[in-house]
Amino acid sequence: MLQLLWLVVAIPFASAVLLALCGSSLSRRAVALLGAGSVGLAALASLIISATFLASAPPGNEYVQHLWTWMSSGGFRPEIAFYLDPVSLLMLLVVTFVGFLIHLYSVEYMRDDEGYARFFAYMNLFVASMITLVLANNLLLLYLGWEGVGLCSFLLIGFWYREPQNVRAASKAFIVTRFGDTAFAVGLFLLFTRLDTLDIQEVMHRASARWTPGSGVAIAAAALLLGGAVGKSAQLPLQTWLPDAMAGPTPTSALIHAATMVTAGVYLIARTHVLFALAPSVQFLVAIIGAATMLMAAFSAIAQRDMKRVLAYSTISQIGYMFLALGLGAWSAAMFHLMTHAFFKALLFLAAGVVIHAVHEQDLYRMGGLRSELRLAFWSFVIGGSALAGLPLITAGFFSKDLILWQSWAGPNGNAWFWIVGMTGALLTSLYTFRMILLAFYGRQQLHVKAKNGLAVRVSLIVLCFLSLVGGYVDTPPHFGGVPALSNFLNSVLPPLKEVHVGPITETVTALSASTMFALGLGLAYLIFGPKRSRLPAHNLLEQLWLAGWGFDWFYDKLLVRPFQWLTRKSASDLVDAPINGLAQVTVLGYRALRLTQTGRVRWYAAGLAMGTVATVAIALLVR
Amino acid sequence: MNHPDFAALLPLTIVSATAVFLMIAIAIRRNHKAALTIALIGLAAALGSLALAASVLPRQVTSFFILDSYSFFYMAILLGAAVFVLLFAYDYLNCREEQPEELYLLVLLATAGAMVLVASRNFASFFLGLELLSVALYAVIAYVRTESISIEAGIKYLVLAASSSAVLLFGLALIYSESGSMELSQFTTAMTRTAGHANSFPVLAGVMLVLTGVGFKLAVVPFHLWTPDVYEGAPLPVTAFIATVSKGGMFALLLRWFHVSRGEIAGAPGLVLSILAIASMLTGNLLALRQTNVKRILAYSSIAHMGYLLVALLAGGTFGAPAATYYLTAYIVTILGAFSVMTVLSGSRWEAASLESYRGLFWQKPLLAAAFTTMLLSLAGIPLTAGFLGKFYVLTAGAAASRWVLLFTLIVSSTIGLFYYLRIVVVMYAQPTDPGTKRDAPALPISLPATMALAALTGLVFLLGIYPALFWDTIVAVTRNLG
Repeated sequence: MLQLLWLVVAIPFASAVLLALCGSSLSRRAVALLGAGSVGLAALASLIISATFLASAPPGNEYVQHLWTWMSSGGFRPEIAFYLDPVSLLMLLVVTFVGFLIHLYSVEYMRDDEGYARFFAYMNLFVASMITLVLANNLLLLYLGWEGVGLCSFLLIGFWYREPQNVRAASKAFIVTRFGDTAFAVGLFLLFTRLDTLDIQEVMHRASARWTPGSGVAIAAAALLLGGAVGKSAQLPLQTWLPDAMAGPTPTSALIHAATMVTAGVYLIARTHVLFALAPSVQFLVAIIGAATMLMAAFSAIAQRDMKRVLAYSTISQIGYMFLALGLGAWSAAMFHLMTHAFFKALLFLAAGVVIHAVHEQDLYRMGGLRSELRLAFWSFVIGGSALAGLPLITAGFFSKDLILWQSWAGPNGNAWFWIVGMTGALLTSLYTFRMILLAFYGRQQLHVKAKNGLAVRVSLIVLCFLSLVGGYVDTPPHFGGVPALSNFLNSVLPPLKEVHVGPITETVTALSASTMFALGLGLAYLIFGPKRSRLPAHNLLEQLWLAGWGFDWFYDKLLVRPFQWLTRKSASDLVDAPINGLAQVTVLGYRALRLTQTGRVRWYAAGLAMGTVATVAIALLVR
Repeated sequence: MNHPDFAALLPLTIVSATAVFLMIAIAIRRNHKAALTIALIGLAAALGSLALAASVLPRQVTSFFILDSYSFFYMAILLGAAVFVLLFAYDYLNCREEQPEELYLLVLLATAGAMVLVASRNFASFFLGLELLSVALYAVIAYVRTESISIEAGIKYLVLAASSSAVLLFGLALIYSESGSMELSQFTTAMTRTAGHANSFPVLAGVMLVLTGVGFKLAVVPFHLWTPDVYEGAPLPVTAFIATVSKGGMFALLLRWFHVSRGEIAGAPGLVLSILAIASMLTGNLLALRQTNVKRILAYSSIAHMGYLLVALLAGGTFGAPAATYYLTAYIVTILGAFSVMTVLSGSRWEAASLESYRGLFWQKPLLAAAFTTMLLSLAGIPLTAGFLGKFYVLTAGAAASRWVLLFTLIVSSTIGLFYYLRIVVVMYAQPTDPGTKRDAPALPISLPATMALAALTGLVFLLGIYPALFWDTIVAVTRNLG
């Protein structure tokens, strides 16, 4: 049944085309059926595929579906082919299942929006592109999916395009990620010129055969790919677009800017992990970037007032954990956290959507006391928040984060500093998560609750709650069950986790410390933001800085945007333009001159014919 | 002539017989729908007979015809194009006062002429096919007798085509006088550079004169002057027919007999063809630059496209012929799509030809605007469309033959071309002007067959752009043994 693979891409894509072409003439019911149903079918197909894959693994634990060759020219033969192995299978399941739940939620959430069909067309196109990215057999097809999801992200951030600030946010996301994408594209050129192929597996083979570890070309290639990953996954220094991307509809934030697209960078690095293993310095840089981003974003999350921006910074911070894991060489831990994060972060965003719909407010300081009226949203927040903060043993986030924390000490690249940073991050995560919950759901109720949830919203929230709780049991550490099923499953692709450092810090110490951090964060949050405390945002300098995301926007504006604008103004009329404009003028002159030949007179036309004949015969006579 | 010979000629016979049958039917009773049905059935039957007769290929029938997979491939394309032209012609004629039935008859005859061209291997059949095509075209160009511009275009075409035919005939006579043979394969010999043998001057002059006639039909510079006037004056479906069937049939003949697959191309013909190609690419694109009439823009753009095709022809080798064939297929599909959008947008008394009539089209008819955008982008050669891959193959063929001057011109002129294609696109997506002021009458509702045909053409443009392997292997196979 693995042959169904192409359908997983084709179904959402066909639905997107159909919705884009004739969505406006379809009824809302039909749009919903098509929009959510297509992703549901894709999820069903991927379920069948994974059942087949698990029941009888294909030889080499990989399955390639060649569809066709786009074009063939010299050594350049980009194939339209899909590649299925444990890593892409995991991603496929996450994308289609979380995607389906979010689509289901959107059926109800977007019900009163006039762009209903447009929304689902974009969302389906996104799912198709994301699956293309995940399943791509070669880097060119992966790049197609990569740009496709970027385009959909742009379209969906600016979905309510009548508000200028939404359009600005969309453009910002697009332009900032473009920096990374350009690096990625250059990386592709480099790989192709050096290795003569873009087939991912072949690139890995040839790279490890031809390049010595630490060689310049390997470092350059890995660094360029890292550039792409950093842009897409909103890591330092290209993280500034994600908080503004919250301008899009909330299901978009849940699907694209939390669960799937922003983790594409993590997937890219895991997919090309051989290149990073060949460039240890770049891999170390990945860990540094991850750790720094994680702390930076966690601090920013503490000071945010907008509920969705808290979640956005939290996403940046959690992807920082994944990057840290990648940098440590704990590849499967990063994929594990990617999966659990998709569950609980999608849950948190969808629950936030329910709150925002109910009270038409996103400022945490104006909320409060919503616990009793929005019970489902409250419990979703508690479960999702606990998973995010890592409530021991009964949430998914605990297991995945614990694995990363343990590897930050015990892994090949691990050291005490990473361990301490990871623990600090865990503390901050717990703090900002419960600050958000306390501010929104406890204290005095200030806002009137307007809307009630329908079945679709409830089902998707409950399923995600369930997944956020049990999703971690697929990979448990030795003394809490000791069944590393996911790691084992991924081992055929990603190198197994190693435990190099054994010493004062043990697995048990790590787990206990992480639990302590969770409790500490909860306690701190209760002390500072508890129901009895005053509900006014603090105005000290540090919090202002955190609120502004460490002032990166201001800094980039001064460092890059202004000088660039100045430069463009200055160079608007310089000498370089002269040849270009001259060329245009020559072209227009050519047009004017040639137009004179079109007189409309038959005798002139016949004369042209005769002169042409004479000229050709004359050439024949002269040249022979 | 024996039994398989008749079988091989079946497609041609069916089209001709349908024309005769249609003539009789019209004489008995005029009925527009019946005329269309008969013509379509005839074309469909001819298409079907291609599959039936494929088993007897390749076959030389008398000294006039060569029927092999190459001619059948091109016949299929021509017949398909004719089907689309007729589908759109029905709506177009239905709302006009002319008596529409004879147009189908003439189109069938012209198609038969183009098919003869594709299959001919002898001067006589070549000229016969050419005239069959031309004479039918004179009448259909001037078909809408109430429009003076249409009559003018018909007369112009008549005068100029007749002159060019005379030149061509004289060229054929020159070659015959020298060699005493009527075989078209002499062109291949004349085009190929062979050591120790130079073309005698009469033969060379004859080849040049024939190129004049061929160049006139294809509208390459300097034989292109008629194109914009005729494109503009002819009824839209007829313009589409000239752009596809007439040029396609002629190019198939040119490609078969003038393309050099082994060895080098001879000096003088190579030089002349290169000059024609370069002049066509530049002139066509430059002239289209500031036009405000979309029909004239497409006329000039067709001149440039014929120049691109000549590049592939000149590239020769094993890659030139398939590249040219792919390009031509893509071009025919695309230009049919473009003209059909224009046809369905036209009202009963006017054609959607001026650029202004497309202002804000996207906001009124988004699907039609999207289809037209697709066609224009394909003509400009933007990736994921048929036109891109066509151009890509032509570039590859040219690079393989190291024809750098031609390639440079191709790239430069394509860049110029981008401007006027995008200009139409920009106008379509601009804010509409005050509705009702510019248009004298609202466009008619689009009929179901036209919608489906347009959807099929749009789909084909993407299919050719995304999944070329589907056609490429066939094209390589049919162009393997030309001559």
